[in-house]
Amino acid sequence: MNSQAIAVEVRAAAKVFANGVRALDPIDLVVREGEIVTLVGPSGCGKSTLLRLIAGLVQPSAGRIGLSPEARSAGLAFVFQNPTLMPWASVERNVRLPLDLCGAERVRAQDKVGHALELVGLNDYARFHPRELSGGMQMRASIARALVTGPRLLLMDEPFGALDEITRNRLDRDLSELCARENLTVLYVTHSIYEAVFLSSRVLVMSARPGRIFQEVAIDEPQPRRDAFRITEKFGRLSAGLSGMLSAATYEVRA
Amino acid sequence: MSDRKWLQVCAPIAVGIAIILVWHALVVVNELPPYIVPSPFLVMKTLAQDWGLLSGSLLVTLQVTGAALAIAVVLGVALSILFVQSRLIEASLLPYAVILQVTPLVAIAPLIIIWVDEPRTALVICATVASIFPVIANTTIGLRSVDPALLDLFRMYGASRMQTLIRLRIPSATPYFFAGLRVAAALALIGAVVAEFVAGTGGTQSGLAYQILMAGLQLNIPRLFAALILITLTGIALFLLVTALARMSLRRWHESELPQER
Repeated sequence: MNSQAIAVEVRAAAKVFANGVRALDPIDLVVREGEIVTLVGPSGCGKSTLLRLIAGLVQPSAGRIGLSPEARSAGLAFVFQNPTLMPWASVERNVRLPLDLCGAERVRAQDKVGHALELVGLNDYARFHPRELSGGMQMRASIARALVTGPRLLLMDEPFGALDEITRNRLDRDLSELCARENLTVLYVTHSIYEAVFLSSRVLVMSARPGRIFQEVAIDEPQPRRDAFRITEKFGRLSAGLSGMLSAATYEVRA
Repeated sequence: MSDRKWLQVCAPIAVGIAIILVWHALVVVNELPPYIVPSPFLVMKTLAQDWGLLSGSLLVTLQVTGAALAIAVVLGVALSILFVQSRLIEASLLPYAVILQVTPLVAIAPLIIIWVDEPRTALVICATVASIFPVIANTTIGLRSVDPALLDLFRMYGASRMQTLIRLRIPSATPYFFAGLRVAAALALIGAVVAEFVAGTGGTQSGLAYQILMAGLQLNIPRLFAALILITLTGIALFLLVTALARMSLRRWHESELPQER
């Protein structure tokens, strides 16, 4: 944590959908600048809903969501579960989309696209179509698109959930480096306990529907994380602890 | 070309040649007179002999079909875009598009021909009526079949309605549009032919359907066959044209046009 300023502040925000489903019970959450906070929890606990509330894609039924002026002005970016690329457009044009939509000047936009592609290591694939890339590379393109506007806050909804473990581990490592280098604040949703421990400065365990925060674990290990962290005794201990908490959170409601 | 491709081209040609030979043999063996069934070679000869007359009619039919298809595409796409702007507009107008579609063209064509003075215009209107519905139906579904996550993304970056339409909805709709266009092209030709049968207009400005009609009345069966062949070839050419257009615009990204690797 290099800074104590608050990036995201959620106060008693809740969501009840029009069909009566209580997706999220009143929830409090603070993310400080430079933090990587991970949400884990059973399926349907409202992790994604919380992320979408913060992104402004869904309006809260109650409560308040505040973003730091910095996150609001420089922007936040959302990375979806799937790469969500336009299949008819090249990687380059996909990454340029956010700039095109706000009418950015062409030459400067091209520079930014080049820089974003460099950050994720896709420079050589600018002219490829999404279909011509592997799943991992498509996800990298998706992250490049999120980074192209120079956001301070990244909201990521299980971005690597569909990838094989080796690819996922490598993307996690690259993401950790990227966040440390660019001093990004990240709120990350995942199903993977190992991913949560590896990436986060803090892990929030949510309980089953309707969701609320069940427990919080700080991962006290310097950022960026290295692959070697995965084979430490500490990593194993934290993962086991988190695993126990997650089952408790999953079965708590039924018990 | 690979062996498989050669086979795909040669096999249908071989079948065609076989049919022509059997047809010829049956005509010769059974001594069928040309006013009942002409031999295929007589049909070819007639096609060459009457080319002056038939090519003029072919041009008319092509013009009517082409004009109708162009109007169906422009009007159909415009209506689809209007439909996806609001469910109310769609609900108000779609039933009438359906009525237009389900009413047989032969039943409407006489009215159109009576109401519209200029015969060529009347024919184009008939063929447009026949072909517009698949364009509307398919394009509308296409414009709605947008990846919801991409729609969220556009919303998050503050895209205007216009930007969403041009950068997201229209590209998403292209494969659906081409599926509709393939059907519409065939229907435009059928519409042009049917309308001409109903109109029965004579003179030098008449299309292939009129030649078929007249040849039938005069028992000039070889010419009837020759005109029929030209209509069929027109239909095939249209189909190939639309297929090529679809391949050109979808080749790089859509599943329907990707090369299959085994």
